[in-house]
Amino acid sequence: MSRLLKFLLLLAGIAAVIYMAAPSKPKESTLEKIKKRGYLLWGSDAEGGAPYAFPNPKNPSKLVGFEVDLAGAIARELGVKKAVQSQNAWDSLIPALERGDFDFAMNGIEITKKRMEHVLFSAPYYVYTEQLVVRRDDSSIKSVADLKGKKVGTLSGTVAQDILMGMRGVNVRIYSGQVEPYQDLALGRLDAVLLDLPIAAYYARPNPALKFAGPPVGEGLYAIAIRKNDTELKKRLDEILAKLYRTGELKRIYEKWGLWNSKQDKLAAFFKNSGAETLDESRSAPIKNFFPMLLKGAGVTVLISVSSMALAITLGLMLTLLRLYAGPPFDWLATGYIEIYRGTPLLIQLYILYYGLPNIGISLNPVMAAFLGLGMNYAAYESELYRAGINAVPFGQMEAALSLGMKRGLALKRVILPQAVKIALPGITNDFIALFKDSSLVSVIAMVELTKTYSMLAASTLRFFQLGIITALLYFGMSYPLSLLARRLEKKLKKDRR
Amino acid sequence: MINVRDLHKSYGANRLFEGVSFQVEKGEAVVLIGPSGSGKSTVLRCINGLETFDSGEITVAGIGLHSINRKRPMKEDAETIRRVRLKLGMVFQQFNLFPHMTVLQNVTEAPIRVLGMGRAEAIAQARDFLKKINLEGKAESYPAQLSGGEQQRVAIARALAMRPEAMLFDEPTSSLDPEMAGEVLSVIRKLVDEGMTTMIATHEMGFASEVAGRVIVFDKGSIIETGPPSQIFTSPKVLRTREFLNRVLGRF
Ligand SMILES: Nc1ncnc2c1ncn2[C@@H]1O[C@H](COP(=O)(O)OP(=O)(O)OP(=O)(O)O)[C@@H](O)[C@H]1O
Ligand SMILES: [Mg+2]
Repeated sequence: MSRLLKFLLLLAGIAAVIYMAAPSKPKESTLEKIKKRGYLLWGSDAEGGAPYAFPNPKNPSKLVGFEVDLAGAIARELGVKKAVQSQNAWDSLIPALERGDFDFAMNGIEITKKRMEHVLFSAPYYVYTEQLVVRRDDSSIKSVADLKGKKVGTLSGTVAQDILMGMRGVNVRIYSGQVEPYQDLALGRLDAVLLDLPIAAYYARPNPALKFAGPPVGEGLYAIAIRKNDTELKKRLDEILAKLYRTGELKRIYEKWGLWNSKQDKLAAFFKNSGAETLDESRSAPIKNFFPMLLKGAGVTVLISVSSMALAITLGLMLTLLRLYAGPPFDWLATGYIEIYRGTPLLIQLYILYYGLPNIGISLNPVMAAFLGLGMNYAAYESELYRAGINAVPFGQMEAALSLGMKRGLALKRVILPQAVKIALPGITNDFIALFKDSSLVSVIAMVELTKTYSMLAASTLRFFQLGIITALLYFGMSYPLSLLARRLEKKLKKDRR
Repeated sequence: MINVRDLHKSYGANRLFEGVSFQVEKGEAVVLIGPSGSGKSTVLRCINGLETFDSGEITVAGIGLHSINRKRPMKEDAETIRRVRLKLGMVFQQFNLFPHMTVLQNVTEAPIRVLGMGRAEAIAQARDFLKKINLEGKAESYPAQLSGGEQQRVAIARALAMRPEAMLFDEPTSSLDPEMAGEVLSVIRKLVDEGMTTMIATHEMGFASEVAGRVIVFDKGSIIETGPPSQIFTSPKVLRTREFLNRVLGRF
C-alpha cells in the first residue's frame, strides 16, 4: 500500500540532507553479516497493521502477518535460524535502511521511480490491487464505474487515491489511517472505500455491514527494499523469491492470509478467508494478553524519561551558570542554545539527531538518540527555570557569602542554588511530568515505548478504547507518584525556611 | 589596619568620591555618620571589595586593593579581594542570613568550607559565640523563626566565626525597632570594648557618641569633618556638620 505522499512530506520536512544521504558503506557485505549474526534482521512497521506484520492478538509479544511468514521463509533459505523484525515508523524505513539499521526493508513498499533513486528493489513478491468496498445493503454501486457523484474514501498517497482523482465527478475523502474509512463507510458518512486489497481483506471483509464491490482494479508491486550497494543480497533474494514461488510456498502464505488472487496467479481462486478469523480472534482475545507488552513499553518510557530528565537537569544547570557567570562568549552561546532548542519542535530535533547526523558520520543508536534528544531539549527549559530561581534569590545572599570569604562557586553551590532550586521545584516537577508524556515522540526514531506499543496493538486489534484506557492509566500511574513526591519535597523545603 | 587613600568613584556621570582618604588604626572604633546618600555604605563596600572604584588605593592589613574598575576582575584580583575579605567581617542592614540553614549551620558554614576547620571544632566555636550573644537556645532554629534583633546578632556571630581582624557594620540596627536595636548595640559595644577594630555606619547618634573612638562625617561623598565624639557632637567646627546634627537630633 502506498504512503508515498507521507513519505515525501517527511523527506521535504526533515531535511534535504537526508534526501541526499549517501548510502552507508558497510565494510562486510550484508550477506556476510547475516551469516555471522546467525539471524535475519528486517525492517518494518508493526503499526502499519494487519495483515502485513502486526502483534499476534493471542500473544502480543510475537509478530504475525504474511510478511512475517515470508521473512521466516527467506531466513530459512538464507541458512540462518530466524528472522527478527526491527521496528521502525513506516515513513522512516528507507532512511533507516540507508543508515544500516537492518538488512532490508519489507513492508508493503511499492516499487516507485522515486524510491529507486535510493534503494535497490528485489523481484516483486506481491501484486497488489485496489478493492472497492460498499455497504452490504447498497446495490447502486457495482464497480468503480458507478462512483460518479459518490463520496469515496481512501488513504492519502495511495495508488487508489490516484485512480479516484483521475475520475471525474467523484467526491474523494482522504484519510491517514486505514481503519477510519471503513468506520465512516459503515456509519453512512461515505458511499464507498477504495483501498489496497490486503487492507480490504483484513479490515473490511469480516465486517458484516460491508461487502466487496466488483473485481480489483489497478495494480502495483510490493518488493523488498535493499541498500544500493547490496547487489549480492539482491541476487540472493531474487533467487529465493523465485524458488518460493515455484514451490508454491508463496502461494500458501498468501492463501493463509486471504491474499491470493488471480493477479498473483491466473489459476488461483479468489479469497480464502483466514484473514477474517484473525481479526475476529483479536477482537475477542482476553485483554490480559496485552499487559506484558504494555508493561514492557512502560518500562522503556520510564527508562528514557528518567535518564533524559537527569541529563536535562545537569545540562540545564551548566547552561544557567554559563549564561549568568561565565561572560562572553559563553553566555551568548548558552543563550543561543536555549533559544534554538526552545524555538524549534522537539520532533525535528529528534529527526536531525537520528537521521540527520549519520550524514556527517555520527550514527547514534535509538536509545542514545532518544536520551540526548529529550535531555538536550528539556535542558533549555530547565535552564530557564533555574535562572528565574537564581534571580529570585536576594542579591544580599551572594554578598553575604562573598564577604565570608567564599569563592563564587562555593557561594553558588552552598547558598544560592539550594534557595533557587526550592523556587524552581514546582516548575521542574511539571517539566518532568511533561517529559514523561513527550517521551512518546521518540517512537519516530524507532523506539518502541508505551505509546508506540499501544498504537501497534490498537491498530491490529481495533481495541482503541480498552487499550487506550489501560495505556492512559499506566501513564497516570507513573506521573502521579511524581506529583506527590514533589509536593512533599516542596512542603519539606518550605518548613526549613519558616 | 585599614587605609583609604585618594579614593575616586562615580556611578556613570555621577561622581560620588573625589579623593576620599582616611585611616583606621588597630583596635580603633570609627563611626561614619552623615546624611542619607552621602556615601557611608559605599565606602564600607569598597573596603570589602563588594564595590569597585575608579582610582586610589585601599589597604587592609597590608593587602592592597587597587582601582579595580573592571566589571570582571582577573583571577589574581579576585583572589586579592578574597584575602581582604578574610581579614574583615561584614554585617549588613538586612542581616542576609542564609534562610535554608539553621543558626548553627549559618555560623559554621564558612569556617568549615572556607577555613577548612574541623566540624567538631567549628561547632564548639559556634556554640561559644552563640552563648556570647545570648542565643545558645536557638542553635537549631531557622532564621525565619528568629526576631530581627536575634537575626542580626547571629549575623555578627557568623562574621566573628571567621576570626576577622576588623569588623564593618553597615547600619546594623536601621531595620530594627528600638528594643531590638538595643540588644544588637550592646553586642557591638562589647566587641569594641574587647578591642576589635571596628567601622560602623549608623544613624544612631547616641550610640555613635558612646562607642566611637573617632567620628567621620560624610556629606555628598566627601569627609567634611573628623574628630572624637565629644568634640563632634558638642562643638562641630563645620557648618554642614552642625546643620546635619541639628536635623537628626533637633538641637543646636
Ligand atoms: N548601584 C548604584 N548606582 C548608582 N548610584 C548608586 C548606586 N549605589 C549607590 N549609589 C549612589 O551613591 C550615593 C551614596 O550611596 P550610599 O548608599 O553609600 O549612601 P549612604 O550614606 O549609605 O546612605 P544611607 O544613609 O541612606 O544608607 C547615593 O547618592 C546613591 O544614590
Ligand atoms: Mg547606607
